[in-house]
Order: sequence, then C-alpha cells, then structure tokens
Amino acid sequence: MKRAYTETGLHRGLRLGKLGFSLTGSYLGYQLQNLFLNGETRDERRKSFQSKTSRKIREELQSLKGPAMKIGQALSMQSHLLPEDVIKELANLQMQAPAMHPSLARAQFKASLGKYPEDVYRDFTPEPFAAASLGQVHRAVTKAGEQVAVKIQYPAIRSAIENDFKMLRSTAFLGRLTGHVPASVIAELEQGILQETDYVAEADNIDFFREHLKPLPYVKVPDVFRQLSTDRVLTMSYLDGEPMMEFLARRPAFEVRNLVGARLMALFNYQFHTVKAIHADPHPGNYLIDANGAIGLVDFGCVKRFSPRIIELNQCLRDHVWTEGEEQARRILSLGCGPEIFKRPRVAKRVLEDAIDLYVMLFPSSSGTRNIVDFSDGSVLKKCAEIGNRNFRDKLMYPEFVFTSRAEMGLYNVLHLLGAKLDLTAIEAELNGLATREPAKIL
Amino acid sequence: MKQETKKTNPTKTRGKRTENKEKTKKAILRAALELFAEKGFYQTTTKVISRKAGIAEGTLFNYFETKEDLALYFFERELAEVMEWYEQDRRIRRAALAEKIFAIIHHFLERLEPYEDFIGAVYLRALVPASKLSPWSLENQERNLRYLRFIRGILAEAEAAGELPPVGDFGAYAFGLFNLAIITYWLQDRSRGKEQTLALLDRCLKLSTHFLKKGGWDW
Repeated sequence: MKRAYTETGLHRGLRLGKLGFSLTGSYLGYQLQNLFLNGETRDERRKSFQSKTSRKIREELQSLKGPAMKIGQALSMQSHLLPEDVIKELANLQMQAPAMHPSLARAQFKASLGKYPEDVYRDFTPEPFAAASLGQVHRAVTKAGEQVAVKIQYPAIRSAIENDFKMLRSTAFLGRLTGHVPASVIAELEQGILQETDYVAEADNIDFFREHLKPLPYVKVPDVFRQLSTDRVLTMSYLDGEPMMEFLARRPAFEVRNLVGARLMALFNYQFHTVKAIHADPHPGNYLIDANGAIGLVDFGCVKRFSPRIIELNQCLRDHVWTEGEEQARRILSLGCGPEIFKRPRVAKRVLEDAIDLYVMLFPSSSGTRNIVDFSDGSVLKKCAEIGNRNFRDKLMYPEFVFTSRAEMGLYNVLHLLGAKLDLTAIEAELNGLATREPAKIL
Repeated sequence: MKQETKKTNPTKTRGKRTENKEKTKKAILRAALELFAEKGFYQTTTKVISRKAGIAEGTLFNYFETKEDLALYFFERELAEVMEWYEQDRRIRRAALAEKIFAIIHHFLERLEPYEDFIGAVYLRALVPASKLSPWSLENQERNLRYLRFIRGILAEAEAAGELPPVGDFGAYAFGLFNLAIITYWLQDRSRGKEQTLALLDRCLKLSTHFLKKGGWDW
C-alpha cells in the first residue's frame, strides 16, 4: 500500500513538474500543484484537520486524472455522494489558485495597478485573511480611513484557464468526453470560469446586486472602490460577519441557524424571481453571518442571469402543473430539455418523475397549508445528487443549468449544514407579499 | 556633477581619489544608460557618451575600455544594490526560502525594468563567445562570484534551518542559471505587467523548494 502510494506520488509529481515548468501555464497545473502541495503540507498547515478525512480527500484528489475529470468534478461537484468533509474540501479547492506569499501578492498588485499597496492604502496587511476564487483577500485601510477588503488575483490565471480549455477541446480529451459533456456545456463552463477572472465585471455585478437586493434588509453587499480596482485587483468595503463554516463551528442555536437558512432560501428565491440573476458561487465561505443573523454576500465572480424559459420552468414545477394533465407535463419537459427529449420516451418519463419527486419534496403542496422541508437529514441533497447522476448517465446536460444547478445544490448543501427546517411555500409567499400567516416568524 | 568630474584633483588622498573615481564611473554609467534607452546600445558611441558625461573621450577609456565594460559595471552595481536591499529588509530575511528567492529575483527585475532594451542588447551580445559579457567570460564570472556567494549564504541559512537538504555550492550555481532563465523569459514576456513571469517564477520556486525539501524526487 505504502509502495503503491509512493509510485503514484512520483508519477503525479513528474506530471506536476511538467505542468509546473511548462511556460504556457495551465490552470489545471495550478490546481494540481495546489492540491498536491496542500496534501503534503497539510499536517503543518492544518493541524486540526483529521487524518482520516485527509486520507479520504487525498484518495479522491488522486482520482483526478486530467481536465476531463476536473470538469466532470466541477459539473457534479456536490452530486457525488461523498462524505460531507470531502465535499467541503472539494468545494474549497474548486476555484482556488495557489496561495501567494506577501512578496508575490505585492508584485502582482503593482503589475496590475501600477503602484505598490503601501503607496495607495494607509495600511495594508501583507498576509491574506481569506482565499477567494482565483486569488486571495487582504485587509487594508484606505487613505480616507475606510476599512476595505482587497482581492488580488493570482498572476496569469486567465491565460492558464484558456490553455486548459484549449487542451480540453483538443482531440485527445474530446474522445474521453464524447457523449458525456456536450461542447455547449464546456463552452458555458469556460465562459463562467473566465468570467470570474475579470474583476471589473465582478465590480459591475456587485453594484448590480447591491442595487437590486436593497429590498432585503438582512442582506449586505459591499461597496466597490473603483479607483483602487482593476480587472485583477478589487477593493471593496469590508463586511463584518464570520464565514458560514466558522459560524457553524460555534454551534449556534437551532432558531438562529433556521433564521439564517430561511433568509438564504428567501434570498435565493428573490434572486430567481425578482432579480432574475443569481450569485452562483455556492461556496459556504461566500456567506458572512453577523451577530444579528444578517447575511453578507461576497464573491460576485460567478453570476448567472436567468432566461425566461428557466423561470417559467421553475414556476411550473412549484405550481405542480403536471397535475393538470399530460399537456402540462409535456410543457415541463420541453422547457427543461427541449423537444428532442420526446424522441427518448423512457428517458423523458424518468426525467419527469424525478422532477416531480424533487418538487413534491421541496413544495409538498402548492396550496396554503404549512409544509416543513427538513434539510438536516440531507435527503434533499441526496435526491438532487441522484437525479444529477441519472441525468449525467442519460447524457442530459444543458449549458443553462451548469451554474444554476451549482448554485441550487450549493444552497441545499448550506441549508443541510445549517440543519434548517423550512416552509418554502411560506417563504415564497412572504416574498410575494401574499403571506397572511405570521410572516414575522418566518424571516 | 559634470563639473566635479572635470576638476578632479590628482593631489587628493588615495581614499578621496577612489571615491571620485567611483563618482565619475557612476556619472558615465548614468549618461550611457540614458543614451542606450534613447538610441539603443549599438547606436550609442563612446564619443556621445563621454560628451553627455562631460568628460573627454580619452578619459572615458580610462574607466571603461569598451561599452561591454560599461554593461558589466551596470550589472555589478545593480547586483550590489540587490544585496544591500536584502540586508536591510528584515521581513524578507525572515521569510520562507521560496519567498526570499522570489523577492530577490523580482527586486532585480524591477531594477532592470527601465533598461529593458539595453538588457536585451546585452543578452544578444553575450551570445558571442569572445564577448566579455558571455557567461563563460572569466571576468564576468569573477564579478558574479560575489553575488553567488551572497546566494550561497542564504541557501546555507536555509540548510541550517532544515528548509533544504545540503545542496552545497551547487545550489548557488543552480540559482545563477535559474536567474538567467527567468531574465530571458522576462525579456520576452509581453503579458500585462509581465505577470506571466511572476507566475512562472512563483511556480518554479514553489515546486523546486518543495522537491528539495522532501529530499529530491523520493517523496
């Protein structure tokens, strides 16, 4: 066993070395480097991390065989039935570039903004306080005295990602993917991941969401300091609150957890139906919970705008329209999968049944009675995962759903971690201003 | 400055004389670098340099036989500055080895940045075997030795701290080659803010210190 591991390690190392020294660079290279270096230095860096989990994760990571697997993993991030800690770890690793030491962060800051941090801020902390998608976040104080968070992107990550996708599209990898991941899905994935590398776009997203989420008083979105930002450096106001995992580690009371869960659910629904765009990065670290249970949203790199078709589909499912007859059932299928699905009647039947199962679980009744969905036992997450795996097996993958289902699964995962028990119908009704039953208690 | 160099008094003490000599050398280098940036290395004649530095062309030859000697002096000065900077930066001196090496090379590149074209020309010139700038030139190697000893000192500290297995003087030579490779890459790097160089430097250093720390390839 030991021997086998050494060989794998050496093999991986050679491969890693090749990637590391290739001049063109590869995002996968960063990923592997990151995973690998993390694995090796885990004991030093995270003493608290249990060795059993660590071993499991390492096994899992070692099964990543190339970009194809990486993409597969990205697509079904939470849909494999992995232990919770592993999901957590994978979610963490998903979009992380290797950590930058203070000298590199400082050099990259200057490469992008033209000046060193110490020249533009009154105070700048050289060590990061958080990892972000494709970079890391430092605390700073502006010359005017405002507390800010400065996100710095790892150098040349964009071209590295582009290289990976180039490689992915090349024949060798395409062969492995044929029939599983359609080109349109890969294109959507590339577009989504590349979108995260542009901090100017992210600044626009932040402004958009701050404006549109104003009606939800318990949601906080940072301000952007444009003059201290570029496409690779983003200066935002610092939000109070602790990341979701730290919040949970304090074992808060059920009422507090449930309040946060209800707010997250309401936030999701509000984005879906009113804003028609969603913060699609489900990483629990992107939710900062403050002492009053308010939710600070950070990391707007991955934002998805919904097409009317998806909104209509969602509404149909929530309203249980299939009960109105075959015509409506066909409408659901055609909205979700397009008319081609009817050429595969067996698959169509399965997809419809799965969708009905899930939505009956989430919205037990479309009428006014109170129905509590229990997220604590993980059954919703499990159901989603099963459906995801079946869809993958039946080669049903649609670009529109790549990031929205990631967001949805991410939400259910967080609700599961919170152990939330929620009445989704009531939350939605309240958002619509229709609720007459004890609205104050829900949110 | 120009006036001063002209009025150098031969009766002054030996120490004063060396000091003035160094001043003149610096003045010549400053004039030369400005001209190199303006007209390029090859187009700039010693005549123009001496005129700009405010000295006779003959005087210039007392200090630098050729433009190549000027280039060698330039690198010597820059490397001396890097060593001085390192000694004064307490945070870097306490950092991990990968960061130290990163900061040293990056600081050097940053100093070279205003003279990129000149460095490029020097690199081409260094390809000529008979050139003083060639990496095989003994004179060049002699000048480099001080810098390699400085690096050797840093590696020795890392060895003592258990950050590195004993690499001996080989480590310093490996660094020298790596430094050269990075400068070559940096000269070609057309990415914004030369961020590709930053990424390459970081990844190479992380991986190599990682491998070395684990005792070569057997991990």
